[in-house]
Amino acid sequence: MHDTPTREVFWNIRPIWLTYVLLAPVLAAFFAGVWNHVRRWRAGKPIQRVDNWRERLRGFFTDAVAQDQIRTGDPGAGMFHILLSWGFVALFIGTTVVFVHYDLHLPIMQGWFYLVFQALILDLFGLGAMVGLLIAAYRRYVARLPRLTHGLARDGFFLGALFAILFTGYMVEGLRIVATQDPWAPWTPVGTAFGRALVALGVDSYEQQLAWHRSLWWFHLAVSYVFIGYIPYSKMRHMFTSPAAVFTRNLGPAGRLEPLDMENSETLGVKTLRDFDWKDLLDLDACTECGRCQAVCPAYAVGKPLNPKMLILDMQRQLSQEIGGLPWQNASGEPQPIIGTSIDPETLWSCTTCNACVEACPVEIEHVAKVVDLRRFQVMEESAFPETAQEAVRGIEDRGHPFRGSQASRRDWYADLPYVRELAGVGQAEYLFWVGCAVAFNERAQKIARAVAQIMHAAGLDFAVLGEEETCTGDPARRIGHEYLYEMHARQNVETLNGYGVKRIVTACPHCFNTLKNEYPDYGGRYEVIHHSQLIRELIDAGRLPLSKTEFERITYHDPCYLGRYNREYDAPRAVVDALGTNRVEMNRSRRRGFCCGAGGGRYWMDDNPGQRINVERAREAAATGADAVCTACPFCMLMMEDGLNTVAAEQGRDPVPTRDVAELVAAALEEQQAGDQRAAG
Amino acid sequence: MVIGPFDLNALEVAVRLKERYGAQVTALTLGSGKAKDALRRALAMGADAAVLVDDGQMAPKEPSVATRALAAAVRKLGGLDLVLCGRQSGEWDFGQVGALLAEELGMPFVPFVPRLEASGDGWRLEREVEGGLLVVDVSGPCVASITNATDNQPRLPKVKDIMMANRKPIQVWGPVELGLGEEDVGEAANRLEVLELFIPEVKSECEFVEGDDGAAKGAALARKLWDRKVI
Repeated sequence: MHDTPTREVFWNIRPIWLTYVLLAPVLAAFFAGVWNHVRRWRAGKPIQRVDNWRERLRGFFTDAVAQDQIRTGDPGAGMFHILLSWGFVALFIGTTVVFVHYDLHLPIMQGWFYLVFQALILDLFGLGAMVGLLIAAYRRYVARLPRLTHGLARDGFFLGALFAILFTGYMVEGLRIVATQDPWAPWTPVGTAFGRALVALGVDSYEQQLAWHRSLWWFHLAVSYVFIGYIPYSKMRHMFTSPAAVFTRNLGPAGRLEPLDMENSETLGVKTLRDFDWKDLLDLDACTECGRCQAVCPAYAVGKPLNPKMLILDMQRQLSQEIGGLPWQNASGEPQPIIGTSIDPETLWSCTTCNACVEACPVEIEHVAKVVDLRRFQVMEESAFPETAQEAVRGIEDRGHPFRGSQASRRDWYADLPYVRELAGVGQAEYLFWVGCAVAFNERAQKIARAVAQIMHAAGLDFAVLGEEETCTGDPARRIGHEYLYEMHARQNVETLNGYGVKRIVTACPHCFNTLKNEYPDYGGRYEVIHHSQLIRELIDAGRLPLSKTEFERITYHDPCYLGRYNREYDAPRAVVDALGTNRVEMNRSRRRGFCCGAGGGRYWMDDNPGQRINVERAREAAATGADAVCTACPFCMLMMEDGLNTVAAEQGRDPVPTRDVAELVAAALEEQQAGDQRAAG
Repeated sequence: MVIGPFDLNALEVAVRLKERYGAQVTALTLGSGKAKDALRRALAMGADAAVLVDDGQMAPKEPSVATRALAAAVRKLGGLDLVLCGRQSGEWDFGQVGALLAEELGMPFVPFVPRLEASGDGWRLEREVEGGLLVVDVSGPCVASITNATDNQPRLPKVKDIMMANRKPIQVWGPVELGLGEEDVGEAANRLEVLELFIPEVKSECEFVEGDDGAAKGAALARKLWDRKVI
């Protein structure tokens, strides 16, 4: 009878029909829960997120199947999750094989397939899943990772239930093997080991084995059924919602916000959950509570009232209350404003839009877009936003730049630089140098403008500026939530730029860079936009900039969020620093994990509580590298770092580490070289 | 074109009075077609109507001439309980329109008012004076020039209101509609001449005070300040 390898399904179990009867309410609860969630997402507004299947499937395979993003930066998490998820996927396939074999009467569970897959592979995958559970438990209860402190008791229930399912599964299998003296036992080494262990522990008579097998089998079934029925009602739903969010991810540029149809929108921005689009609502259900966003959030790090994880979970809770959750929580809840109900205004205004949370999220939740959507409503419909941010908005409204107190004009920085010409005067130029408000108006930052102009002049480039015709790109207004003001400026600037037929733009501000490059195409502005660090790198590589060494021995480079994370330019500024003959040292948090200076999202104009200043936290990190200069590539980062480094220096009673824009370093090295050449010639 | 800073305070006071008592607020300005931007802002902030006195056919080089045109418009509007203006304009800073307007209209005038409320058949106004406030009661309509205070900071209009304001009509009145002639608002009516206008040159220098320790630096600083007659 042992000719064909297989095993007897339901061997010792009677009545078999009871398993089907019990399954019915489980499936009913499961599908009711699934439908409940689908209904929640359907309450959202439409958005196109199922186009471009090639790209979406690619992302699905790398991030949902291969789980690249879970492994990134945390191999422990990657290990546990791959073992657990793939273990259970394999076991689910195994159950399906049994279903086909037994219920559909298609005898597939036999022969080599039985031995290799159903016996050996499942045996090993189950073991892997148990190991995964132990790692997960270790991270929560022994290592106590700070980002995993939310819902520890509930997580314990899931981990315990899953472990119980696996453990009793092996016991049941082992008892069957020893009781039937299964000839294929070597193909299920783990199950066999469990069986032998039980025999060794005294379960050694056939009758005992039958009795133990039967009761453990029903227990295993009961725990499994309860777990399955509970999936849609718990965070374990993420096994479905997270892959869905990964598949429907934002494929556009990270730095582009969705424009708003002002004329036809009933509500400007998001007031209630129903004003979000369905992907936003799916995001709320896709959260795995892994806390990676919390771990990287600069606002959270300095103790501001923002935790991106809780931002999502608080809205998720409101969603459950308003648009269904558990069946007995009726969906009749009236839509309430999100701000004031589940999110505090202060939380909303703490965000620097640095995108670290979005970058860290393994399941493609888009926190920043939600923050801006909520801000849009607060600003445009309620006029309820911080006084300091209102000042910046008024500045942009009245004078076209957010620096309200400034007496300077956009022409000041080049008043004595005859080679800086205005486009109105020259008609056209190969490069338009888009200066940006911070660079044009802030006395310290004007040095960046002069440095960039000096470098372009030294390289013999044909460039011009817009002068008084330049106006704010609208980025601060947009990130503060004033989409209307942003749009007016975007349209005006596109008109100016297109009027001159501008094709290539160089800018020294990553915020302008991002907006010109990623957001102006929505208004018909399509240009080749180059950040000054990219241009300088090209010029150095082409041998067009004779440079001496920099005066600094050790330089650390701070990644601006809108250049780095948003636009993936990490290398150009570093290459420029390296070309200056210095030692480049990295901070702990750099490149895609770079830590914000605290200025983004309009925060530059808002007040910080003492002790909650992001720039000071970042400056500490920079100072700890032992660098004798901090290099940035953004005027806001430069001003924030300079301020932070001054504070740190005062605390430590020593001279502050100087901050330099990458262009300033290059311009100084250029001058030094030119002076050297002159000395040599003279 | 933007509204002058004190005129914004005046507008804010007007809108607050409207919210408190119920009233019709009309924004009135004198200027070219560009000034419509400013009037739209006023509508967005809460004014109910807007009137532009088009100075295309006028030559209001001095406040008295400009005021004559504005007064004609105020009379044409008719039935006003209160006329508010900023304490001085944003460009020339003459600070005369309020007083001259009251003179033209034959109304009492209260300058430098941060806030006011209804009182009897008129108004109770606070007036800023050196080192304090003077509270005055006026019966009947009056003209007040508004100064800035923490409680009359101009509101930031909601975008919905800005968009609605773009759809509201703006009335435009010229000398014909206002019954003004060449002698009232023409070139010849101007008697004041501005000889020169310039931004004083401000030079800032940064100088580090030398010294071996804090006390020496302090002494050196005191000497420098003494030399420059600062102390």
